[in-house]
Amino acid sequence: MERRDFLKFGVLTGATATLTACEKPVQQLVRFVPEEDFVPGVATWKPSLCTLCPAGCGVTVRIMDGEAEVVRNGQRGILKMGLAKKLEGNARHPVNRGKLCARGQAGLQVTYHPDRVSGPLKRSSSRGSGDFQEIGWPEALSEVVTKLAELRSQQQADSIRFVTGEMRGHRRELINQFLASLGAPAAVQFAPLDEPVLRRANVLAFGRAAMPSFDLERANYVISFGADFLGTWNSPVAQSIGYGEMRRGRPGNRGKFVQVEQRMSQTGANADEWVPSSPGSEGLLALGLAHVIVKEGLRSNPTEINSSREVEEKLKDETYSPTQIATRTGISANRIERLAREMAAHPPSIAVIGGTPLAQTNGLFNALAVNLLNMVLGSIGSPGGMFFAPGASTVKEASSANQSVDFVAQVLSGGLENAEVLFLDNTNPVFAMPPSWQVSQKMKRTPFIVSFGRFMDETSVLADLILPDHSPLESWLDDVPESGTSEAVFTLAAPAMRPLHNTRAMPDVLLEIAHSLGGSVSEALPWKTFEEMLQASYRELARAERCHPTDGFEKFWGRMLEQGGWWDGQCQIHSPESPALEFQAPEFVPPRFDGSEQEFPFYFQPYVAEAFLDGSLAHLPWMQELPDALSTVMWGSWLELNPKTAEKLQIQQGDLIQVRSRHGSLETPAVLNPAIAFDVVAMPMGQGHAQFGRYAAQRGANPMSVVAPLQVEQVGSLAWAATRVSLSRTGRKGRLSLASGALYEQEKELELR
Amino acid sequence: MLQHRLGALAFSLVSVATFLLCSCARSRSANDSSPGSEPFFTPAHPTVANAVKEFLGWRATPIQPIAFPHNKHIANGIACMVCHTGVSKGPVAGIPSDKLCMRCHEFLASDRAEVKKVAGYFNSGLDVPWQRVYGFSPSAHVKFNHAPHIRAGVDCSRCHGDVTNMTVAVRAVQINMGFCLGCHRAQQASTDCVTCHF
Ligand code: SF4
Repeated sequence: MERRDFLKFGVLTGATATLTACEKPVQQLVRFVPEEDFVPGVATWKPSLCTLCPAGCGVTVRIMDGEAEVVRNGQRGILKMGLAKKLEGNARHPVNRGKLCARGQAGLQVTYHPDRVSGPLKRSSSRGSGDFQEIGWPEALSEVVTKLAELRSQQQADSIRFVTGEMRGHRRELINQFLASLGAPAAVQFAPLDEPVLRRANVLAFGRAAMPSFDLERANYVISFGADFLGTWNSPVAQSIGYGEMRRGRPGNRGKFVQVEQRMSQTGANADEWVPSSPGSEGLLALGLAHVIVKEGLRSNPTEINSSREVEEKLKDETYSPTQIATRTGISANRIERLAREMAAHPPSIAVIGGTPLAQTNGLFNALAVNLLNMVLGSIGSPGGMFFAPGASTVKEASSANQSVDFVAQVLSGGLENAEVLFLDNTNPVFAMPPSWQVSQKMKRTPFIVSFGRFMDETSVLADLILPDHSPLESWLDDVPESGTSEAVFTLAAPAMRPLHNTRAMPDVLLEIAHSLGGSVSEALPWKTFEEMLQASYRELARAERCHPTDGFEKFWGRMLEQGGWWDGQCQIHSPESPALEFQAPEFVPPRFDGSEQEFPFYFQPYVAEAFLDGSLAHLPWMQELPDALSTVMWGSWLELNPKTAEKLQIQQGDLIQVRSRHGSLETPAVLNPAIAFDVVAMPMGQGHAQFGRYAAQRGANPMSVVAPLQVEQVGSLAWAATRVSLSRTGRKGRLSLASGALYEQEKELELR
Repeated sequence: MLQHRLGALAFSLVSVATFLLCSCARSRSANDSSPGSEPFFTPAHPTVANAVKEFLGWRATPIQPIAFPHNKHIANGIACMVCHTGVSKGPVAGIPSDKLCMRCHEFLASDRAEVKKVAGYFNSGLDVPWQRVYGFSPSAHVKFNHAPHIRAGVDCSRCHGDVTNMTVAVRAVQINMGFCLGCHRAQQASTDCVTCHF
């Protein structure tokens, strides 16, 4: 049984399953570790799920009894309960195998953050003013119910919009069933880093709208085009484990790693060779490498496809020869030839693409070219190559995988203004979209906005009603990791602790609203709680699964909760399948940039900050004080430029620089970084929040405020690396906290070179 | 012994002064935008007075939110371990949640003023904010574990005094390192540093 089918099947048959469940109630549901079981001062461990990035790593939570400061019925006091104290990786989880990244560790602070929205709020003055008053849950819910009932009676349910962040598993299924039962359109997703360009390329090449996984353990040669796969991209923990194995886990056989990018990332800093090709030429470089391999007959184990001959003929074309592309890519013909010969001579080799090259206007070309290079290298679906995790979304879900794009389209085509009711869950488009798209002005025209936000961010502050969700550690969670594993994995976790505040789990709130609406809506969602829905669905999995002795659902469910999910492990019901290939050699599309070279001499590259990702983690103080891996800057934002460039402009480290594009300007201190191209300046994403708690608000600058609203051709997502900027000194010093006093120990030495 | 103590006190006062200077200098140069940068004496002690008190083992007498009568409960045959459940299982004896209180007091003596206070906390979904009576300062770096002491047959009263005669618990015994060592020596228990300091 494919797991996608399971999600659908399980939920469709939910009604019957629940009925069975009612007849034979499951005994002893492990909702929380029962308090009676706590020995004071002794820790218990309980599995959970990391929700801080889409990798979906498994977590174990260290729980001890303690006294939480809480407010109950308007009264402040203490409550003895099991409290989550520390997070570690779940050793049994196939994605992260016991490891957890720095962000995952900070997941604890989401729960204990002092600025969490602690109960339902209602807007009390004009939109965006940030004035809210506390109200009770019954009032808040009845307001939503009245509004929805009104829309339904006027046949206007299609004007309901639901925008979520990256979301998988049954939470998503529940939202969509809720919307379907109302007659409203399906939820759209807005997650700035969900790589819609790569997904589109994978649909075109492999028929899979999914993020790829990589068998780094067995690879001998890896070339990555801009992907920060050890820090922030795709499934970084799983990839770091594989990478470590490739580099040091096989005595006598250390794989080679080449990184192509204009600004050295944390991943690039690990590379044997760092190749600064010119921005947007990554795809061309990939085709140049493929050209050499095909032309010189170096393919040792090519992936066979029907169109092989045509593709090869096309690749042999002189337009892709190293001498032809050397100027465009900025990489010498000799080097291209050498790299191509190297990677062909050391199979298995993998090519990876992610991040900046996909955020150019020609991102789709770049992605398709790298897919083609993988085909030429024979790395698709073979050991030491790339593959898709079993059951990752198939082409049928291509549309659902492109949902960030759908949201962009909605914003641009006036879809937001036409909405009557807008639900927001875990997404912050006001922060993450360029100001010229005017998403906040458009949202202000939506008559009724409901946010499930745990924190007051730039988007939630526009809401009429805030129905705060539990923190992940207080919630039922389930997930189907999309990449980073060759096993079929369902992560499932019960709440690790009781809620601290007067919050309610979003899925339970939806169910409650559905039941209050009654009629067909209530019938379509028969479960009393999200937990019941999960049980009903996983009952199907218990029936389908072949690995475990059939000792009944209760045992199976208990086992799932105890180990943090279910994965097929040794049974390997699903072998990683080789995808069907439909390759065409892509036509070269040159990148476009906003702004003229004369007026705006620098390429502006925002990059995904290890600590904040797209900015959704800037509210966590541990993340604020995490020094950037290369520059060691903490608690702020900065602009990286090459020391040579700085010298020309008479800029020194720490000078406050004004960065200007055709669309806006910002000020931020300069950090001199020798590992960045002369004509490129880079800035971490994630700071510059206007709202988002005391640690993030009014700190640093948001690179989005200068980003041009260019879109990736044929995809429609934001081309966030396609802006040109100019720099000028303000004459003032900026605030820069460096964990190390200087960037380099041998700063002098580096300057001399 | 006293001399030793005074010597240590003098030394610590010198370090106090040094720390004070350092921390002032630090708070001036610290990134003023980062939270939690209020001036402090050391991470463990907010003020000098606090450090000195802790060094000398002076603790304020805790004022309990409810005048809990240990004597009455013990006289009614309720053993220590009924409420302090962790004592034989792990490091911390534990103070029960008010749910345990209400198991009996929902009906028993529910008209008494103090019991009503417990019910008040219980009904508002909160716990009674009991104050700690015993404990070590973090700077002592000592780890105490109840369970092995109970297993070795050490009577509760050895460290906690005669609770059968107490209403709210009071510090009847001054627990310092000398006290611990005295008993460990007498019982021929380990006096190795890492037995307690780890
Ligand atoms: S990579 Fe880090 S942030 Fe992402 S899910 Fe794993 S532990 Fe969490």
